[in-house]
Amino acid sequence: MIRLGLSLLALLLALAVFGPWLTGVSASAQDLERVLMPPGLGEWLGTDNLGRSVVTRLAYAIRLSTGLALLSVLSAAVPGTALGLLAAWRGGWVERLLVMLADAVLALPGLLLVLILLAFAPGAIWPFYVGLALVLWVEYFRVVRAQARTLLASPQVEAAALMGFGWPYILRCHLLPELLPILLTLMTLGVATAVVALSTAGYIGVGLRPPTAELGLMISEAFPYVFEAPWLIIAPVATLLLLIAGLACIAEALRRAR
Amino acid sequence: MTSLAVFRSNRFLVVALLACLLAGCGDSGSGPAGERLLSVSAQWEPSSLDPAISGYVYTRMQIAETLVNADDEGQPLPGLASDWRESGDRLSWHFTLLPGVRFHDGSVLDGAHAAWVLNRARARAGALSGAPIAAITGSGNELIIQLTRPYSLLPALLAHSSTQMLAPASFAPDGSVKAVIGTGPYALVRITPPQSLEVRLSEYWRGPVPAVTAARYLAIGRAESRALIAGSGQADLVFDLDALATERLARETPERLVSATTPRTVILLLDAGHPALSDPRARLALSLAVDRDRIAAAILRDATLAASQLMPPTIADWHDATLPALHRDPAAARALLAELGWQPAADGILVRDGQRFALELRVPSNRPELPVVAAALQEQLRAIGVRIDIVVGNDGDIPLLHHEGTLELALGARNYATLNDPGATLAQDFSHGGGDWGAMNWAETQVAQALQALAAGVDPAQGALLRRRIVGELQRGLPVIPIAWYRQSLAVSERVSGASLDPMQRSYRLDALRWKTREPAR
Amino acid sequence: MKRIGLLLATRLAQALFLALGISTLCFFLLRALPGDVAFRIAASRYGLDMVTTAAAEAVRAELNLDLPALRALGHWWVALLRFDLGVSAITGRAVWTELAQQLGHTVQLAVAAVALALAISAPLGVRAGLNPGGRLDTALLAGALLLRAIPPFLLGLLLIIAFALILPLAPAAGHLEQGTLFLPALTLALGLSAPLARIVRDAMAQVSSTPYYAFSRTKGLSEAATFWRHGLRNIAVPVLAYLATQLVFLIEGVVVIETLFAWPGIGHALIHALFGRDVPMIQGVVLVMSLGIVLFNALVDLVCLLLDPRERTV
Repeated sequence: MIRLGLSLLALLLALAVFGPWLTGVSASAQDLERVLMPPGLGEWLGTDNLGRSVVTRLAYAIRLSTGLALLSVLSAAVPGTALGLLAAWRGGWVERLLVMLADAVLALPGLLLVLILLAFAPGAIWPFYVGLALVLWVEYFRVVRAQARTLLASPQVEAAALMGFGWPYILRCHLLPELLPILLTLMTLGVATAVVALSTAGYIGVGLRPPTAELGLMISEAFPYVFEAPWLIIAPVATLLLLIAGLACIAEALRRAR
Repeated sequence: MTSLAVFRSNRFLVVALLACLLAGCGDSGSGPAGERLLSVSAQWEPSSLDPAISGYVYTRMQIAETLVNADDEGQPLPGLASDWRESGDRLSWHFTLLPGVRFHDGSVLDGAHAAWVLNRARARAGALSGAPIAAITGSGNELIIQLTRPYSLLPALLAHSSTQMLAPASFAPDGSVKAVIGTGPYALVRITPPQSLEVRLSEYWRGPVPAVTAARYLAIGRAESRALIAGSGQADLVFDLDALATERLARETPERLVSATTPRTVILLLDAGHPALSDPRARLALSLAVDRDRIAAAILRDATLAASQLMPPTIADWHDATLPALHRDPAAARALLAELGWQPAADGILVRDGQRFALELRVPSNRPELPVVAAALQEQLRAIGVRIDIVVGNDGDIPLLHHEGTLELALGARNYATLNDPGATLAQDFSHGGGDWGAMNWAETQVAQALQALAAGVDPAQGALLRRRIVGELQRGLPVIPIAWYRQSLAVSERVSGASLDPMQRSYRLDALRWKTREPAR
Repeated sequence: MKRIGLLLATRLAQALFLALGISTLCFFLLRALPGDVAFRIAASRYGLDMVTTAAAEAVRAELNLDLPALRALGHWWVALLRFDLGVSAITGRAVWTELAQQLGHTVQLAVAAVALALAISAPLGVRAGLNPGGRLDTALLAGALLLRAIPPFLLGLLLIIAFALILPLAPAAGHLEQGTLFLPALTLALGLSAPLARIVRDAMAQVSSTPYYAFSRTKGLSEAATFWRHGLRNIAVPVLAYLATQLVFLIEGVVVIETLFAWPGIGHALIHALFGRDVPMIQGVVLVMSLGIVLFNALVDLVCLLLDPRERTV
């Protein structure tokens, strides 16, 4: 299982790193005489509506999308996990306050927030981080808090505390290893959410600025050409699926290993 | 908890699916009396009952009419006014209204009410607000418009949808519109703004009874969705088809496609006062970098749409075949910019006195081809060292930014027949001070003077001369850079025949349609 | 009773917090619009040709734009608490009227989507839960992942191709014909049912491994009877609770689905408002959506309380 996941990710990584070097063209080089060409010997994945090489754009898109998605997921995961640990550790009014805050934010539609921020700052990237982080941190908070509560009450942690180990040690040796699998599962879903959010923003018209090559944007740009050139939309969707599948395999493998 | 027993696995699934299939908030393809309902779909939404805002939807669906109609070239034809003449001193126009025209509620159209409606239109934003009108009065079957100076374009303005005639009962005491009661063949039965409306043949219609007696209009904003509806045959008439859907239909079922060129041009608006663009050579350089043939062929799917000048050949009056066509020459473009002192920096972008040649291009999102054309332009201009940043937004942004003076470049699909006579639209765009969809900070007085003279009214020979001068100046000065012409397309279902496109986009010509089969289909 | 009171109080506090938060965000957005905001709004109401400084000044006074930020914010909040959502910057009509017209359509779509989602995911999830680790289980996991990675508009398009073009079963778009509810509801439902099926499966797997479930079988009750008596009510609570949290996904999906299928709901209205920079309308739509979620959550909490006697005694 873990080998499958790692090999999928390695494949994507190889494409991202070596793709442009192999094809030799730039991601924004247009050739209006050869638009919508099907995959063939010359162009491995064909050309898009402006004659750009799909394989090259995909390579750059993997870089950008993975970076964006991971960054936005981390900007939700880190505060969420930290607050969840804090709530479980301190308990009392700190915990109650944080839980109330989390409940309140839960009803906020994240995508809408991202769209609103984007509509006022079109083409900028920070609305994604802000919007997604603001909404996704709750998931991490709840899960981490629930897990940490049971863990902190466990005999191992009790023993460690009695022996005099401080909280950094307990965190590192007892809490994080248990939390990692479920955090990875959440992060996989988070990456999917982030890229789909970018795609939705592109569909509505408030996405990243052209000629940026990004998976979600490529999906929404290829949407009108579904009948004429289905490979244009299959390529980025398949790439996204492979990325998610790779991450999910690793997460599942780690979960099963526990 | 018996209510939860409804979770009866597969049976529930089937029932739920069937329920959804049969649901929907309306009726089917035929009206109550078994009459067939024509289904029309287009892009534009009737967001308001006010003619100044959504009037074009009501005239296109033939609910309301204007005093003057327009032929396929934009020249005035009699509408609700059967005849008109200019006074000797050319400062007043006398219109004779058709006698006995009734609104959908039975009331009669008379001169006094027509004058009231026009005065109301004049007070709001609309076609009449730019005309030199002093006063409008009327009584009986007569309507008199007094001008402050001669203006031969007046009849063309009165063909605009914002001047449509609505019954006295349409208006609330404060002047706002509470119902759309017009004089056309079809009366408005139901409206769900901003999405749909339903019409039925009016009993007071004065002309021959059309074959289509009931119709429904559905506004669908996304081009792909309109293409899907056209493909599935769900709607009888689908307007505003994009280039891809047109190509697909032409290939698969050409008998269901109606296509016509329309006096609409894709133009690159620019700020002629911008330091980088103030010299006409800079604008010429931008124009020389554009590969119009490829853009027309690859993006608009029709190579003949590459613009050689502002107006297409179908607008014979305003197309000068002797004018040297706009063409592509990137080497010449680079030479021109070098002449103006621009030097390429390390990244390929031109620099002059520490300033980069970088501009922001605003693109409206309501026409799907425009962002793609913008991406192509971005690459073509980068090849000569000009950096373009694309910002996709609303088409309302462009006039607003123009007013605020912050517009640098914008892409638009300008309809030069908005006021039916292209001369009127050009006057709006290129007179003194420029226009929202025309020149910005362009100090060319010859064109403004010529346009004003044309508006005042001249003899045909002088008119031809003036038009040639205007077109030539626009081609040389390039206050806007023409990119491509436009083609509008209509998909027709198998249920109807006799569909045609109005190049002036004033009417969907529903009354000219005929049903193909005898019995009600669907 | 005390429990219900506490519940309602928490939800009310949540609603208030959300309302104030969203409205503050919209207030600052309005102020952050580039250019002269009063001029913009006056221009969209009366048309650019007709805008005069007098009109712009009138708008400025109406929206308290010349007051310092904090005082204006106070005015904004007071208007909100009076249920005065203002007037749309584009059409000039009251935001309430516009929302009222569109909300009904969205609620119809949402209810249909939830019903379809439950109908799809419940039987699948129950079957998978009763055989954990089996083929259906892995298929469900893969399917859930697949649906998560496909953007909703693409899913909608695939369904249109399948059910409107290839098999002419349902209309492709619009809201006037019979059956136009089917495809948009199905698109939303598929997106919802992926995680929902997993939750049902997890709950079922957990419940079917409990002692009382095993005892029911030992007693001699058939599999079906065991399920109806012991399984259903016990899985209903976590499933309903999860559904409440997934409502946010539904709201977000509605925005894109309504645009694709030309369904005249508040999602469609939001897109228009976003492009038109119609801040009062944006505020109205987002408020309605968020408060709707809070209301629904409160209802689900009440239903869970009724369903599960253990929750009633604190």
